[in-house]
Formats: sequence, C-alpha cells, structure tokens
Amino acid sequence: MTATHLISEDAFASLLDRLIQDMPVMGPVERRDQPGFYRFDRLEKTADLQVAYTTTTIPPKKFFFPPVDEMFTFDQSGPLHIEEQAEGSPFVLVGVHPCDLAAIEALDAAYAFPPADMRWIRRRKQAVIIGMECRPDDYCFCTSLGTADARAPADLFLTPLDEGYLAEVHSPMGSVLLSDTAARQATKNDRKAAEQVLQRKIEAVTARLTTSVSQLADILEYGGLTAVWRETAERCYSCGSCNITCPTCFCFSIEDTLDADLSGGQRQRSWDACQLLDFARVAGGHNFRGDRWQRVRHRWHRKFLYLYRRFGRPYCTGCGRCSRACTADINIVDITNRLVAHFQQEHKP
Amino acid sequence: MRRSEKKRIAFFDFACCEGCQLAVLELEETLLDLLSHTDIAAWREVMTGDEPPYDVAFCEGSICTRADEERLLRVRRDAKILVALGTCAAIGCHNNLRNRIDTREALEKVYGKAARGMDVTEARPVSAVVDTDYRILGCPVSLPEFIAVFKAILTDQPYRLPNEPVCVECKLTDTLCVYEKGRVCLGPLTRCGCGAICTRFGDVCHGCRGLVDEANLAAMPRVFSREHLHAIMGAVASGQPLDEERIRQMIALYNNYPELKIEDRGDA
Ligand code: SF4
Ligand code: SF4
Ligand code: SF4
Repeated sequence: MTATHLISEDAFASLLDRLIQDMPVMGPVERRDQPGFYRFDRLEKTADLQVAYTTTTIPPKKFFFPPVDEMFTFDQSGPLHIEEQAEGSPFVLVGVHPCDLAAIEALDAAYAFPPADMRWIRRRKQAVIIGMECRPDDYCFCTSLGTADARAPADLFLTPLDEGYLAEVHSPMGSVLLSDTAARQATKNDRKAAEQVLQRKIEAVTARLTTSVSQLADILEYGGLTAVWRETAERCYSCGSCNITCPTCFCFSIEDTLDADLSGGQRQRSWDACQLLDFARVAGGHNFRGDRWQRVRHRWHRKFLYLYRRFGRPYCTGCGRCSRACTADINIVDITNRLVAHFQQEHKP
Repeated sequence: MRRSEKKRIAFFDFACCEGCQLAVLELEETLLDLLSHTDIAAWREVMTGDEPPYDVAFCEGSICTRADEERLLRVRRDAKILVALGTCAAIGCHNNLRNRIDTREALEKVYGKAARGMDVTEARPVSAVVDTDYRILGCPVSLPEFIAVFKAILTDQPYRLPNEPVCVECKLTDTLCVYEKGRVCLGPLTRCGCGAICTRFGDVCHGCRGLVDEANLAAMPRVFSREHLHAIMGAVASGQPLDEERIRQMIALYNNYPELKIEDRGDA
C-alpha cells in the first residue's frame, strides 16, 4: 500500500521554499496578462504556485522537450566542430494534474521506443515530480479514459484537504522530499477525506465518451466514417493548435539555421503538428494527407487506434486542451461521440 | 555550405511608408554582420548613388504609377535576384485598398486640382508586375524572415515561406489565445513567420502576412456566428456586430490583390 502522510500548508510551503533555493522549481502560475488563466513557469517564490489552477494552454511536457529545442551548434570556420547542447540541470515540477501525469508516462513509453530519444530520457531523469489533485472544467473527460486517478510517474502526489494536503509517496524520492518536513502519518480519516475529494471530482467531470477505448479502436479500424471526417474538416483550419497543446503528442521537425557570419549555426527541433498542411509532404512534393479530412482522421487514428495498438493505451488522457484551444470549436468528445453514433447508425441490428 | 563572393545589393522603395527598410535598419549589429558579405550598390534611405547592375535588389512598396512600373522593370533587368520586401511588395497591402474605388475619384478627393496629370495605374504589389525570386512578408517585414532570406541568398539556397498559421507560433511561445479573452483574431488563416509578435504583446493578428496556403476561409464566418462568442465580442467591440462582411473586409486588408492567386503567394 502507498505510504500516506498529512502535511500542513505551512509545512508544504517551507518545503517549497527550500526547494526553490536549491534548484529551479516549475509549477502553474497565473498569467500576468489575463488573471484566471495559467501557464507552467518557473516559480520565483512559493506564493507564485497556484494550487487551485484549472488547466494550462501548454502542458508540462515543455520542460522535458522545449517547444524549440537547440540540439547542437556547429562551427565550420576551421574543421567542422559540433557541440552538443546540454539538457539542463535537475529541477522540480510541482502541481501536475493526474491527466498530465498519465501523459508524461505515455510519452516516456513513446520516447523510449527504439530508437530511444535520449534528450527526453535525460531530461526526465533530472526531474522530481509532485502531482496535485485537480478541479475539472467543461472540457475534461478523464473519467472516460481511466486517468482520473493516475499517479505515475509522480514521486509525490498531493490532495488538498481542510488541514493541508494528503501526500501519497510514490517513489523513494517522494519519501526523501517529506523526510525533513513536519508531515505526520495520515489517519484513516485523512485517507477517507482524500477519497471523497476524488469522488467529488469524478462526479464533476460531465463530458463523457459514449464508448470504451477498446471499442473506439475497433470502430476506427472498421472505418466507414468518412462523412464525419469530412464534416469536421469543413470547420477545421488545420492550425495544429490541437496537436501542439496536447500533452501526449510527440512529433517534431528538425531544422538547421546559420549564424549571420555564415561560419556556424545550430540544429534545433521544434514541435510539429499532423493537422498542418505540410506535415506529410515529402521530397518531390507529394503529400500523403493533402486533404484536410485525411488529417482530421489521422489525429483520431493516432490517438485512439495506432498508438493504442502499439502501446496498449490511448494517446489521449482526457485533459481537454485540444477542445479548448480549437478556435473552430471542434471538441474531441463531441466528434468522438459523433463517430460512435455514425457507426451505430450504420450497423443497426 | 559554400560561401559566395561578395554580392552587390540594392534597396528600392516604391509606394509605401518605408517602414520595412526602417525595420531592417533596426537590425543594427546583425545587419552589419550580414552586410559584411556584400557591397551596397544603391540604398536611398542610407546613402546617395546608384550603380547597377546588382546581384540582389530588395524592392519595397507597391506599384502605383507608370513611372513606378518603368523603374521596377529597369531594376528587374539590372538585378540577378529580385526580392519583394514586405507585404506591400509581396502580396499587396493598404495601398491596394484604393483599387476598390474609382481611381480618378480617389485622386481628386486626395489631391484636388493637383491630381490632373498624375499618371496613376491600379495599385499592384511588385510581385504582380515582375517575377520575384524571393518574398519576405509582414507589415512591417518580419525581421527573422529577412535574416533567413538574406542568408539563403548569400549561400545560394532557396527559401520556403513558412506554411503554417500564426496559431502555431502562439502555441510554441505559450501565448494565451486571444479567443480565450473574447477577442477575434485572424491567426488561424494567416501565414506565420512573424513569431506571433502581435498576439504575444496583447494585440490580435491582423493578417499582415497574408493567407496561409489552403486557408479555410469558409470556416471563419461560422466561428464568428457562434452565439456566445458573438455576445462577448459584441461587448468588446462596443456594440459593433461582427458579421461575415466585416470579417471578409478584415481579411481583405492584406489579401486584396485578387489577381494574385494563393498558389502564387508561396515561395518563388
Ligand atoms: S485546433 Fe481545431 S481548427 Fe485547429 S487543427 Fe485542431 S481541430 Fe482544426
Ligand atoms: S487529445 Fe486532447 S484531450 Fe486528449 S490528451 Fe490530447 S489535448 Fe488532451
Ligand atoms: S491568438 Fe490568434 S493566432 Fe494566436 S492561437 Fe489564438 S487565434 Fe491563433
């Protein structure tokens, strides 16, 4: 059984104070330009942490794989010289919701798949992760994907209670974090209170898929859904926002740029998106998914079919970011349920 | 990559505010680095004289008179590479708005009697009059793109305009979408490459880099007619309702040279 402790708000605050002095601590902060909206950023001080944040535009994966990641610099003024860019130093990531924890775990699996992505793996090893129970909004549907109570790969997971936080220890690092604090053993009542918080949250998640993930994979594999893809594509801008805000999307493109003196430059990789027109365009000009509806279909196929078959989990954690980011109001739950309804309609007994 | 001999470069301005050249001058140190690979043959904004021929001619502005047209044709003849610098030159900008009204009427309204004898033509981007080898977009021109094109020319490489909407750059910079603030933005239709400079600093995207390839124009009116969005925006825009016509007008501000097909707006 997971060890659980009760840590008061003050004790947690002083733990964070200490951590902030030692190393970078990343967590959800309020956006200066728009109160009530949040982003993951470095905490200057403990008070910056927004425990009750709803969601962020960009998920915390940006700390393990920056949106624009400089891989190495090169210099050709003499013999070619290449210098790999280090991945940074140890840090703490705090305030990660269950869906985003599940997403980091999903990306761990994807990036470990040969050939392993060493930049991801090295950055992941540098991080201590403190998870946090969440407050769902209208876009969340984690309960349909089994991620509502996800914990891995958190070292410590906190549930806010009246008296402080219930702290679940999920790794040796988690107990190290608590060792110098005034945390006490959790009582049965503390655990019960946390259990109730989880139950209330699950009830608050109202958006729901009308099928299970395994049936969804079968439906997508069966096909015959072109009408839904086409009608969705009519509304879609192919802007890629749904991909880029997704905590489980992992595609990137690589580009070299020259310095102004032309004697050297850098190679960088940045997040790419399969909804963009040129994503599947290859040398010679052919585009494997030149039609918008093919790209729309591809997103669902990736999330709920191909990667589900390969890794045994859908590459969607129900965080709702894609629906929120879509200025065309293409909601992943609506469209998925429309696919299911279309399939059922076509296959009425 | 191969380093070329020093290239003879020139800058020319046609009908415009010369803001693109000014923006280029703001590159300061970087500009000096880039210019160290070149000799300057003409650049009215920084020096006197004009010594053709040129390896590279940067042309800014729109072509609005016969004299403009002749001068541009002359530059084209004298230049190995011609670059359309900025939205006016590449796809058409504010200048072209006057094509919607009768030219004579417009002239008289602005210049009165002095309008007589002005040899004015339809306003056209440089790229609608001569072949261009490279295009740099933006109002004013995007500096990262200017630098990228300049380097491409120095190293004899092609340059491909980015073909993604501005939303991509908002997301890569973790900028809150203005739709979440209840405002309207042309970013989903607009070619990126500006680094989302407007939305990052609190404005909306006005579409100055023109349409991205296969921009889904038909999707936007639907978005704007969404009830709740309409309500929020109605309040924000102080009661001015945003209908399809106004959206089309907004888009047309920077995409108003209809003869230039979207396919022609890509890289040369
Ligand atoms: S965010 Fe919406 S409009 Fe943009 S590509 Fe995704 S589904 Fe299409
Ligand atoms: S597909 Fe959408 S809801 Fe699912 S994890 Fe990605 S952003 Fe979240
Ligand atoms: S602010 Fe504009 S450009 Fe940026 S993501 Fe939103 S719609 Fe796209």
